[in-house]
Amino acid sequence: MSGEPCATAARPGVPLIDGVEKVTGRARYTADLDRRNALVGRIFRSPVSHGKIVRLDVSRARRLEGVMAVIVGEDCPKTYGVLPVAMNEYPLARGKVRYRGEPVAAVAAVDAETAVRALALIDFEVSELPAYFTSESARAPDAVLLHEDRPGNLERAVHHVFGDVEAGFATADLVREARIECAEVNHAQMEPHAALAEYDPLHGRLTMQSVSQVTFYLHLMLARCLEMEESRIRVIKPFIGGGFGARVEVLNFEIVTALLARAAEGRVLMELTREENFLTHRARPQTAISLKLGMRRDGRLTACECEVAQRGGAYGGYGIVTILYAGALLHGLYAIPAVKYDGYRVYANLPPCGAMRGHGSVDTRHAFEVLLDRMARELNLDPFAVRRMNLLSAPTRTLNELMVNSYGLPECLDRVERASGWRERIGRLPRGKGLGMACSHYVSGAAKPIHWTGEPHAVVNLKLDWDGGVTALTGAADIGQGSSTMVAIAVAETLGVPLERIRVIAADSALTPKDNGAYSSRITFMVGNAAIDAARRLRDILTDAAAAKLRVPREAVECSAGVFRAPNNPVSVLSFEDAAKAALVGEGTLTVKGTFTCPPEAQGGKHKGGAVGSTMGFSYAALAVEVWVDEDIGRVSVDRVWVALDCGYAINPLAVTGQIEGAVWMGMGQALCEETRYLEGLPAHASLLEYRVPTSIDSPPIEVQIVESRDPLGPFGAKEASEGALASFAPALIAAIANAIGIDLNELPATPDRIVEALVARRRRSQLDSLRGAAR
Amino acid sequence: MTAPLAPFSLVRPADVAAAVAAYHDQPDSRYLGGGTDLLVNLRRGIKTGSQLIDVAMIPELCELACGGGGARIGASVSIARLAAAPEIRARYPALSEAAAAVAGPAHRNAATVGGNLCLDTRCIYYNQSDWWRSALGFCLKHRGEVCHVAPQGQRCHASFSGDLAPALLVLGADVEVAGRAARRQVPLAHLYQEDGRAHLTLSPGELIVAVHLPPDPPPSAYEKVRLRRSVDFPLAGVAVALRLAADELASLRIAVTGTNSCPIMLEGTDALLGRPLDAPALLKLDKLVQKQVHPMRTALTQANYRRHAAAAMARRLAERLASAARCAGST
Repeated sequence: MSGEPCATAARPGVPLIDGVEKVTGRARYTADLDRRNALVGRIFRSPVSHGKIVRLDVSRARRLEGVMAVIVGEDCPKTYGVLPVAMNEYPLARGKVRYRGEPVAAVAAVDAETAVRALALIDFEVSELPAYFTSESARAPDAVLLHEDRPGNLERAVHHVFGDVEAGFATADLVREARIECAEVNHAQMEPHAALAEYDPLHGRLTMQSVSQVTFYLHLMLARCLEMEESRIRVIKPFIGGGFGARVEVLNFEIVTALLARAAEGRVLMELTREENFLTHRARPQTAISLKLGMRRDGRLTACECEVAQRGGAYGGYGIVTILYAGALLHGLYAIPAVKYDGYRVYANLPPCGAMRGHGSVDTRHAFEVLLDRMARELNLDPFAVRRMNLLSAPTRTLNELMVNSYGLPECLDRVERASGWRERIGRLPRGKGLGMACSHYVSGAAKPIHWTGEPHAVVNLKLDWDGGVTALTGAADIGQGSSTMVAIAVAETLGVPLERIRVIAADSALTPKDNGAYSSRITFMVGNAAIDAARRLRDILTDAAAAKLRVPREAVECSAGVFRAPNNPVSVLSFEDAAKAALVGEGTLTVKGTFTCPPEAQGGKHKGGAVGSTMGFSYAALAVEVWVDEDIGRVSVDRVWVALDCGYAINPLAVTGQIEGAVWMGMGQALCEETRYLEGLPAHASLLEYRVPTSIDSPPIEVQIVESRDPLGPFGAKEASEGALASFAPALIAAIANAIGIDLNELPATPDRIVEALVARRRRSQLDSLRGAAR
Repeated sequence: MTAPLAPFSLVRPADVAAAVAAYHDQPDSRYLGGGTDLLVNLRRGIKTGSQLIDVAMIPELCELACGGGGARIGASVSIARLAAAPEIRARYPALSEAAAAVAGPAHRNAATVGGNLCLDTRCIYYNQSDWWRSALGFCLKHRGEVCHVAPQGQRCHASFSGDLAPALLVLGADVEVAGRAARRQVPLAHLYQEDGRAHLTLSPGELIVAVHLPPDPPPSAYEKVRLRRSVDFPLAGVAVALRLAADELASLRIAVTGTNSCPIMLEGTDALLGRPLDAPALLKLDKLVQKQVHPMRTALTQANYRRHAAAAMARRLAERLASAARCAGST
């Protein structure tokens, strides 16, 4: 464990340090930035799903008065993308379009009316190709390829076998299979995408402000696509209204905005509509899972065989990582002696998918927990008992070489079982009422970075000046998850000063050290450890100065509540300000740096794709749901949720609770009512009316329990807290529906039409059975 | 998809006559109530209008009176006010329940009775951006030649989704309509026809002034099904008004919204009168609904489900009202 929180000043939790700005409306998001002298950017998008570009003539648009720049694919010959091995996308289409809504051209004009008029003057002609909207049709042997270098329209096929699967199934008392389908979902983050780019032609410099979760990657891709030196670019992250993975790779509109600003030699503000947000997408793909599990009579798992097909959309994006996660995280939650995984990431003529909260793990975990529940029922075993039969024992390494140093799942199970009154209530509920439970886990940061540079995984700088204020400089993007507050607490606790003394400046490439960004729940673990490391160094300097000033040995000095003292000598007291002044003598402004590097043993196995899933530690969750199912109309009401999450240590319990509630709620959306729906490749769901995020009255009370397993490597023992609980919700809901009305749903979301269809099918089956019985 | 709202002028006439006159001065005008439907459609470019005539504050339209002679509900009474009115809740529970089920709280504060009755029909191929619709060559309802829901057919199948209309239909409401020459009062059912492109029978410039309800309608109830418990339009909504006499059905009126291009009154319920509402009667009722509603692929939820749900709600509302009546009768 890195560091010991000294004052526990943050318990039972503190409001986020930027919370007041947000709730009072003072916070400035990208679209709130000063737009004086900014041109309005608009994107011309492909109206067809798949085809060769025959003609793209923007001359009429260029001639329109008030149009300052029009750019097309030819203006950017560089691909971009988050994975160095899968950059197959241009900011504006070149040669071919591959989905309806793909950016083809862009305009910067003096106002929105002019920009939209200019879009209408663009002549675009396409020779259409067959379009594929399902994984099956895209994988058909005669299907036209979306990308010439990807036979079978496969972005990646993964084949992993760990342990002896055949032998595992042979020793099982029960072997069962399921085919589960999960609809595509979207982040539906509250703040729509926006970017403000300013190009200064005198100095050849670009300043970019955007909604990014990954300002460093944005910086890299801007330099690549604009063919500019990195040092001439500055990327600033304003306040951000939600990420959830939507902004975890560089997005086409960001590069387009920068290209427009350079072409117009000025400032360009691009604001996307909600429909364009859905077209930009990069969220959880439609996924089909074929799963086979072997189990002994006592509930012990013997083997797992899993095939996953993800409909990834038209471009690579994070796809390879998503399909690898789906297999890798079959491991790490339970002890399974043998696991075979076959994953297929498929191209289709739809908006590209990407990372979304619980990246890659959610749909596979759903299928796994659902089948586990069904098999437990068949063997007359309690679902909690089945999980307890298959626990890991930490520290351990999984079959696929994932490091597990802390494991709070047993306590999560105990707490949820108790809180939900499971033992007293299960099987005794009235008709239509049901209880279900499930477990899940998630990584605390990918241990191997996407871009290997040899640098530490995280760097935090601290500046202490004559005023006694400590400024923490971090590149980590606070996207609402509370990472800046976490940094402030980590520094304050380590220094032994009140939180108010710390000011955090985050994610401005001109000021803050580089950070890989807000993804894979890496910030608390990596940046938190770096912040503690920096604060320790500063504490050492201050302690030395205080000891000299107090004329006591260094070992005799302590700092708590912002005061240095030698406990053995009650008169020897020095305020933090005086200690700072003493430390500055002969030195001037102090700047210290802390770093964190993931040890090699955390970085996964040597097999191909082995880095994905590797992490410093997993969070663990158990969750129970109580539902009421209205059988007449198939509606499911979620009445209550109990959840326990092992986050190692809650650095800020208030924020942890909020993150867990958010994860549960987002899981509920996917489980109950959220899904994207395309009609001939057009997003029919592209508004917050048709894309149904649960409303406040659909949201049940959520009882959160925090379990603290104190990870040996975590900052104060902490692990991630905001993704791990998500994947438990859907399988717990499906189990609760089964408990309530005896229907086993194989599809997500559990919408009323799907439930009624299952009920009607069951009625038909039983009618058929009774007819057969009568015939005999 | 990114086009700004087209410019329009806004007028606020003092009374009904001035409103109608303003319309005829500029015939591509539109009456504006709460704007919760119209403004969204203007932004999307599926409705146009160079002048909006804001009728939300015309005093006569804001009156809500309920007495011995029945109720008169002004067209600009807000849905929230209607939902909260105790006298409506006491005498016309279906209407009160329907009002409380409209959209979400913020919509109900702005939306009006007249606006809800005149709600444009909806379709997943129609309520989309200009970019979206143009990619498919538009549709029969707006600028196009083909109905993408039923490409072989000749009519638009966009569905009506107002919540108030079915409740008012079973309660026997009339609407009072002001035109250029005079006012007329007609049964609410006459306001509608089964055509998604032209579901309202109002003549150009006619304005709904008020809804009239008879004093003693039978006990009534309304229920709608939707994916979320707020905001969403009904996938199907059912209103039932039912009276028992000596445990036998004396009157039964059922209306359905969300499934057709206009709200429909169920036909053939008279065949159930004079008998108790028992299991065979409920089965008959179920069949009547399933046969007469015609949901199409205008929503993302399956059409079959919407038919099933309409029948299920009709059944259980009728059962609920009958059992309440039996309880009331036995005490």
